[in-house]
Amino acid sequence: MSHDDHHAVTIPAPGPEFVPHEVAHHFSTPVQEFQAGKLGFWLFLATEILLFGGLFAAYFYYHEMYPETFVLGGKQLDWKLGALNTSVLLLSSWTMAMGVRSAQTSQKKKTLTYLGLTVLGAVIFMCIKYIEYSAKNEHGLIEFGHLFDPYNEGTGQLAWFTDHDGVMASVPHGHMFFAIYLTMTGIHGLHVVIGAGLIIWIMVGTAKGRFHAGYYMPVDLVGLYWHLVDLIWIFLFPLLYLVP
Amino acid sequence: MTTNTPPVDVQVASPASPREDYLNCSKGIMSWLGTLDHKRIGIMYLIGVGLAFLSGGAFALLVRLHLWEPEGMLFSNQTYNQIFTLHGAFMVFLFVIPAIPGSLGNMVLPLMVGAKDVALPRLNLLSFYLWLTGAVLAALAIILGGFDTGWTFYAPYSLYTNQAVVTIGLAIFVLGFSSIFTGLNFIVTVHKLRAPGMTWFRLPLFVWALYATSLLQVLATPVLGITVLLVAFERLYHIGIFDPRLGGDPVLFEHFFWFYSHPAVYIMVLPAFGIISELVTVHSRKPLFGYKLIAFSSLAIAIISFLVWGHHMFTSGQSTYAMFAFSFLTFFVAIPTAIKEFSWVATVWRGSVALNSPMLYTLAFLIIFAIGGLTGVILGALNVDLHLHDTYFVVAHFHYVMMGSIALAFFAGLHHWWPKMFGKMYNETLAKIAAVTIFVGFNATFLPQFIMGSRGMPRRYATYVPEYAPYHQASTIGAMILGSGVALMVVYLVASLFTGKKAKENQWGGVTLDWKCPTPPPHLNFDDEPKVIHEVYDYSTLDYESLQRDAT
Amino acid sequence: MLAEPRPNPVATVITHLIQDPQGASKQEPPPWDGMPAPEIDEFGQLPVLSSTFDHVDGLFYFTYAVCIFFFVLITGVLLYSAVAHRRKTWDQKPLSNFTHNTPLEVIWTIVPLIIVMVMFAWGFKGALDMTTVPQAAKQNTYKASAKQWAWTFTYPDGTQSYSEVWFEVDKPVQVVIESQDVLHAFFLPSMRVKRDVVPGRFGTVWFTPTRTGDFHLFCAEYCGKSHSRMYAKVHVVDSETFAKQPWNIVPEADAPIEDRVAYGKQLWKGAGCYACHSIEGIENTGPSWKAGPAGSTEMGLFAKNEAGEIVGTERVVFEDGEEKTVTVDEDYIKESIAYPAKKIVWRGRYKNGGMPAAQLSDDKLSCLIDFMKSLAEN
Repeated sequence: MSHDDHHAVTIPAPGPEFVPHEVAHHFSTPVQEFQAGKLGFWLFLATEILLFGGLFAAYFYYHEMYPETFVLGGKQLDWKLGALNTSVLLLSSWTMAMGVRSAQTSQKKKTLTYLGLTVLGAVIFMCIKYIEYSAKNEHGLIEFGHLFDPYNEGTGQLAWFTDHDGVMASVPHGHMFFAIYLTMTGIHGLHVVIGAGLIIWIMVGTAKGRFHAGYYMPVDLVGLYWHLVDLIWIFLFPLLYLVP
Repeated sequence: MTTNTPPVDVQVASPASPREDYLNCSKGIMSWLGTLDHKRIGIMYLIGVGLAFLSGGAFALLVRLHLWEPEGMLFSNQTYNQIFTLHGAFMVFLFVIPAIPGSLGNMVLPLMVGAKDVALPRLNLLSFYLWLTGAVLAALAIILGGFDTGWTFYAPYSLYTNQAVVTIGLAIFVLGFSSIFTGLNFIVTVHKLRAPGMTWFRLPLFVWALYATSLLQVLATPVLGITVLLVAFERLYHIGIFDPRLGGDPVLFEHFFWFYSHPAVYIMVLPAFGIISELVTVHSRKPLFGYKLIAFSSLAIAIISFLVWGHHMFTSGQSTYAMFAFSFLTFFVAIPTAIKEFSWVATVWRGSVALNSPMLYTLAFLIIFAIGGLTGVILGALNVDLHLHDTYFVVAHFHYVMMGSIALAFFAGLHHWWPKMFGKMYNETLAKIAAVTIFVGFNATFLPQFIMGSRGMPRRYATYVPEYAPYHQASTIGAMILGSGVALMVVYLVASLFTGKKAKENQWGGVTLDWKCPTPPPHLNFDDEPKVIHEVYDYSTLDYESLQRDAT
Repeated sequence: MLAEPRPNPVATVITHLIQDPQGASKQEPPPWDGMPAPEIDEFGQLPVLSSTFDHVDGLFYFTYAVCIFFFVLITGVLLYSAVAHRRKTWDQKPLSNFTHNTPLEVIWTIVPLIIVMVMFAWGFKGALDMTTVPQAAKQNTYKASAKQWAWTFTYPDGTQSYSEVWFEVDKPVQVVIESQDVLHAFFLPSMRVKRDVVPGRFGTVWFTPTRTGDFHLFCAEYCGKSHSRMYAKVHVVDSETFAKQPWNIVPEADAPIEDRVAYGKQLWKGAGCYACHSIEGIENTGPSWKAGPAGSTEMGLFAKNEAGEIVGTERVVFEDGEEKTVTVDEDYIKESIAYPAKKIVWRGRYKNGGMPAAQLSDDKLSCLIDFMKSLAEN
């Protein structure tokens, strides 16, 4: 490590395909920078958990209020597709962890490969999501074309919940399940997309050689984010799909 | 750079030479807009929240003027509803929540722990720009027709009203993240960037207060985020979770809302407590009474604050169990707060009490907060609350705490750290006049509201039964006095930036690290990393020789 | 929940800064006009208690006294110290450096703790009393229905009154509260009664009025434009007066026309019509019942022809998918009140429809129509 006039600490590159990392000015040591980043990121993850926590609270509350609706609503979901998505995310969490490990051991190519596979997992997840949403659209359970139409107070008809097969006709407020399902999986899906974006950003940085044994914190932190996205799905899946 | 000097905890400023400080070390608008310096970010926050405060205050004056007459003097009922909503929303989301951590916290916390900056400076700048975005969105909401839901935007009215609810909801969401990131930053800073020798129990109490606040900001604010998102989604695609026409429950909204908003009031008040802790010790030149108790009470308040949200909902038809639990815990949270108040008074007792303007604001706080806190206890009693809920009694209570305590603590801190921030002093005589005017005006505004509230005057009323007129009118006169005091304060503070006298290095004789760096501080705060060897608030270390004579 | 068109933003800024002449809710005298101010208790703080919930007052004043005590103590010590221990010279040292005093700290933790626990227990017990409806009250059940922005009361025998309610003194009463739209709150300050009225649920309050007189009933949960006008007059009367059912006295067909018109006007206020229909010729959420000034699009309901006779005006309505012109008459009015969606006035903002239906008996309707006819001009 070298100290220049401005007390900057630099971590040298472990090889020609990498670049050195300059520790931010206000930190005295690289360890301090690493610990600060990690602590900060865990705190951020806590906020994400609380954000989703609110949604889970809403789910539990209405499950209590309208149990038949939630049981019947859950039956309309394809648990096989959900299970497939779960496996895809779990697998992608593994590839992500391997990617972090590769960055940690300064293996640039492997890092890129694993990160790329993780993004692929995200894409597959979103495709399966698309299939599921299309199915809901077809059955009139969530008609995306009419999602933002106004609510007709006179008829009490919700524009996007036509339920033309009548599967939810026997339970009160059938739309409630699908509204919560859409909101929870939608926000989760948004996080999957954001996560994929972050991973692509890390891949760019990896290609430039910024991440190596001396400095792999951003890869580590994005990895944590991805694991959280996976973890939230692990809770969403049984709650929404396996309830009946 | 010099590694042979023995550890000292006093930073000796180089005399005479025209010192480079954080204000003049780089020039140009971009050096400010793109700054990573916590002190410059603090100044930008100060300007922003100051303008928000003045806007919110203007709305307040309009409210009070309108209420001069029982039938309403200025506006239609609809417009009045929008104006009181704007007053509340601007004040709560754009001022009270972000002001102290964003401006004074940013300025002072790294100095107090002996760091060069906060742990995550870029995140800090992002926090500021998120605040600014929220402010712009709030202004946009006004342009798009305003909103009239009250700052609490209860469902289902907030779902049905044809106003810019989604826009202001978006503003609140963005502001929420500004708050979260600031809290996150401060937690990491306090954990990781303390100077050597700065143990937890040598931290100044402002730092403890900001730490407890930051815990709340990180843990509670996301719930507001999801609440506001759900209301927006309800309006956009009719989820139905809060809409009774679709099977939803409006009381669920209240639970969601208050689960954040009760801890939020502690996000607002804990930093103010921190400022008062600092000021009573410096201006009495006496160590804080019961330091550890005050520190722990901040944490206790933070934890208990998550358990009492239901006391905003006693009239909503709660179960007996809920009433029991929420009332019981509400009384509990009064105890650590009382301990703080008593400890502050004990700190002043038999000290060397300087009656300068920061201290005048501090004394005003201690008196006003006693009333604010005690009236909170009145409201904690279940049967009494059933009568007082949603009356002007509650309005008076929370203004005593939010305006009379938090805003006053903010003013106190502003005056206290003004010389440190700008190297200039304001006119002390005008400051004293303003402090007294604000104190008198404030009490004149809100004391009558306790009386008419207990006599049944409901909140959020554009027109009222004539028997309350004398109280409303007294309150309006008080508001005018209060407003003039604030206006005076703004004038002399801004003027001091141009024509103020040069401040002393250690204007008040403080012994915490923020008074051991040069005034104003250089870009990286300390030339050498400070090493802490004394206990905090150890006035035996005060160098009387280097202290010039006090202004008072 | 009438879907008003979005206000033009620029117009909003300009016109709302001045007294909005379209504010129909403030043209008329306020709903509490003529009501006496409640008497204030001997401490000057609360209205004189008019129900059995005296524990509210007891605890309020106890807590108040405790607060005064602590306030005087804190302020006294503080101000004394600020003066006696003030810094007179710049280098004045403090008189002492104590940072602990264990006995003091124990006292000022334990004593407040005991006091607040007493307050809690007393308050909880009181709340139990206020939320547990006794059998006697259950046998005397009223219904209070809240909708933006008026109260409708239903008596145990099924009769109804608007914006005004009568209770019998010393008789426990249960009021079931319901909302037809948004959150409201049922607030009787003199009785120390308050409960939120939540749409989608029934709530209950109970109390025993202990004094005869006239009292205020306010809405205490913000509910939109006319929240502050959502008022009802409460009359507590003795059993003799109560037995005569003062709320049910509708002027007969042969009663003097002024009485009928006055009763009709009361209905305009009490049944909530005033919130949307002006009687001054001004466009509001609903068409005005009186014609507007020359050049206005408001034709009103009735007008006087050249012969001075009162005739119905003509208006374009939308019915069964097509526009047609109708002449206002008694049948049209009765149909529009009972089935508002049948014929929608087809002009400007009125096309949104949204008028809530009202159930009015024929004798009340005829008084209302007499009132409408009294608004005819030229």
